[in-house]
Amino acid sequence: MTRWLHRLPFEFWMLLPAVIVLLAITIYPTLYMLYMSSIEYSTLPQVPSRFIGLENWRAMFLDRAVWDSWAKTVIYFFSGLVLQLFLGTLIALLIERTPILQDFLATALLSPMFLAPVLVGLLWRFLLHDSYGVYAYLLREIGILGKTSLFGNIRTAMPTVILMDTWEWTPLIMIVVLSGLRALPSDIVEAAEVDGASYFQQLRYITLPLLKPIFVVALLVRSMDLLRFIDHLMVTTAGGPADATKILAIRIYENAFRFYKLGYASTLAITLLIVIIILGRMFINVLGIEKAEAEL
Amino acid sequence: MIRYASHFRPRRLFRDGMILFLDLIFMAWVLFPIVWMFLSAFKQEEGMFSMPPKFIFIPTLLNYTHLVERGAMLYFKNSLYSSVATVLVATSLGTFAGYGLARGRFSKKKQLAWWIITTRMAPIVAVLLPLFMIFRTLRLLNTIPGLVLGFTLFSLPFAIWMMMGFFQEIPREMEEAAWVDGANKLQSFFYIALPMAKPGLIATAVLCFVFAWNDYLFATVLTSGSTQTLPVVTAALQTMRGILWGQVMSMGTLIFIPVLIVGIAIRKYLVRGLTMGAIK
Repeated sequence: MTRWLHRLPFEFWMLLPAVIVLLAITIYPTLYMLYMSSIEYSTLPQVPSRFIGLENWRAMFLDRAVWDSWAKTVIYFFSGLVLQLFLGTLIALLIERTPILQDFLATALLSPMFLAPVLVGLLWRFLLHDSYGVYAYLLREIGILGKTSLFGNIRTAMPTVILMDTWEWTPLIMIVVLSGLRALPSDIVEAAEVDGASYFQQLRYITLPLLKPIFVVALLVRSMDLLRFIDHLMVTTAGGPADATKILAIRIYENAFRFYKLGYASTLAITLLIVIIILGRMFINVLGIEKAEAEL
Repeated sequence: MIRYASHFRPRRLFRDGMILFLDLIFMAWVLFPIVWMFLSAFKQEEGMFSMPPKFIFIPTLLNYTHLVERGAMLYFKNSLYSSVATVLVATSLGTFAGYGLARGRFSKKKQLAWWIITTRMAPIVAVLLPLFMIFRTLRLLNTIPGLVLGFTLFSLPFAIWMMMGFFQEIPREMEEAAWVDGANKLQSFFYIALPMAKPGLIATAVLCFVFAWNDYLFATVLTSGSTQTLPVVTAALQTMRGILWGQVMSMGTLIFIPVLIVGIAIRKYLVRGLTMGAIK
C-alpha cells in the first residue's frame, strides 16, 4: 500500500486537494439537484416531500410560462450580445485611432466593469427613476419620454435592461478587441496601406478577418455571463413587469427562493445547466485549440 | 501605421478631431452614471431629488455617517473576511492544482482540465439551488465559512485555470536544472516556479477578490442578518417611504473604490483573466 502511494507523482498530490474540494462542491450538488427534480418539495416539516418521478419534467414541458421565459432569454441574450459586440468593436477601433491619451481612455472606459452588478442595477434604477432620475429627466426634457417609468413599462422594460447590461459589459468587448488590434502584425496593415487601401477597406478585408478568433472568444465569454448573471436584474425589474423581463434564470430563482418549489426549480435549473454546458464546451474547444495541441 | 512628418495636414486634423469627439461621447455615456453615483453620495437627501438635477451643491458626509450608524462596519467586515478567505483558499489550492496540471504527465489530464473549467461556467442559480439545500442540512447557511465555500465554487476553477497558464509559460528547464543540483520537486516548486509565477498569482488573487467582493446573488441566498455582505445590505436599503438613495449611492462608492483600484493595478492581466487565459 505505501509503496503504491509513493509511486504516485508529485503533481498528483498537488492536484488532489483542489479536486476533492471541487468534487464536493460540484458533483454532489449536481446529483442532489437531479434527485430534487423528481421530488415535490414540501415546505411544511410535518408533510414529507413526495417522490413524483418525471412529473416535474412533464410539467415543465407543458408550462407555457417556461417557454415564454426561454423566448425572453433568447431575446435578452442575442440583443445584448449583438449590441455589445458592435459597440465594443467600434470603441476599440476608435481608441486605436485616437492620437493622444489612448491608455488613459481605455482604462477610464473600463470602470463600469468593476462596479458590482447589483450596484449597476441600483444605479440605473436611480438614473431612470420616473420622478427624480437624471436620465429620465433629460429624456423628458427632450421629449422622448412621457410620464412612464422605463423599468416599469411592459414595452420598455426589456430594452432598458439590455441597455443596462450593455453599459456594464461593452468595456469587456472593447478591451479584448483592443488587445487583439494591438497584437495584429503591423506589416500586413502597412502593406495594404502602401497598396492604397482605404481605412474601411483595410478594416473589411484585413483587420476584422484577422480578429476573428478574438471575436469568438469575446462572444463566448459574454454569452455565458449573460446567461449566468442576474444580479442587476434582480434589483431592477426582478423579471417584471408582468414577466416582461423574466429570463429563465430569474424564473428559477423565483421558483426556488420565493415559492420554495425547489423540485420544479431544480428541473428548470438542469435544463439551463445543460444549455450552458453546451455553450461552455464550444468555448473550451476554442480555448483548447493551441493548448490541446501543445501541452495538455 | 505610417507616421507622416508633422507638417500641417488639415484632413488629418479634421479626422483626429472627429475621433476625439466620438471618444468624448462614449466617455460621457460610460462615465456619467459613475460620476453621478459619486455626486449623489455626497448630497443631502433633499438635494438628491431636486429637478432639474443639481451639479453644484455643498457636499456632506451625512450619508456616510448614517451608514456607520446603521452598523455598516459589520457588513464591511463580513464582505472583507469572506472575500479574503475566498482568495486565500482559491489561490492556494488553485496554485497547487494549476502547477500539477501544467507539469503533470498522466492520462485523462485533458479531461480533468476541461471538467474543472466547466464547473465555473454553471449558471449561478443552478449552483445556488442545491448548495442552499445542502447548506441548510449542514447548518452552513448564514455563516461566513458557508459563504466562502460558495464563493470558492466559482473562484477555484478560475484560479486553477489561470495558474495553469502561468506555470506553462515557465520553461521546464529552469526546474530541471534545480533537480540536477539536488533539489526535490517541492523545493523547485517553491523556490523557482512559484516566484516566477508571482505576477500571475497576484493578478489571479485580485480577480478572485473582485468576484467575491462584488457578488450579490450568492450572498443574498446564503446569508441573512448579521452575516450579510455589503452588496446585499445595499440592495436592502429600503424603508416604508422608499429607497434611501443617498445611502445606496454612498455605499456604492465604498464597494466600488477598492475594486477600481486593484482592478486598474492589474490591468495588464485583465484581458487574460476575463477570457480565462484564451487571450494573453
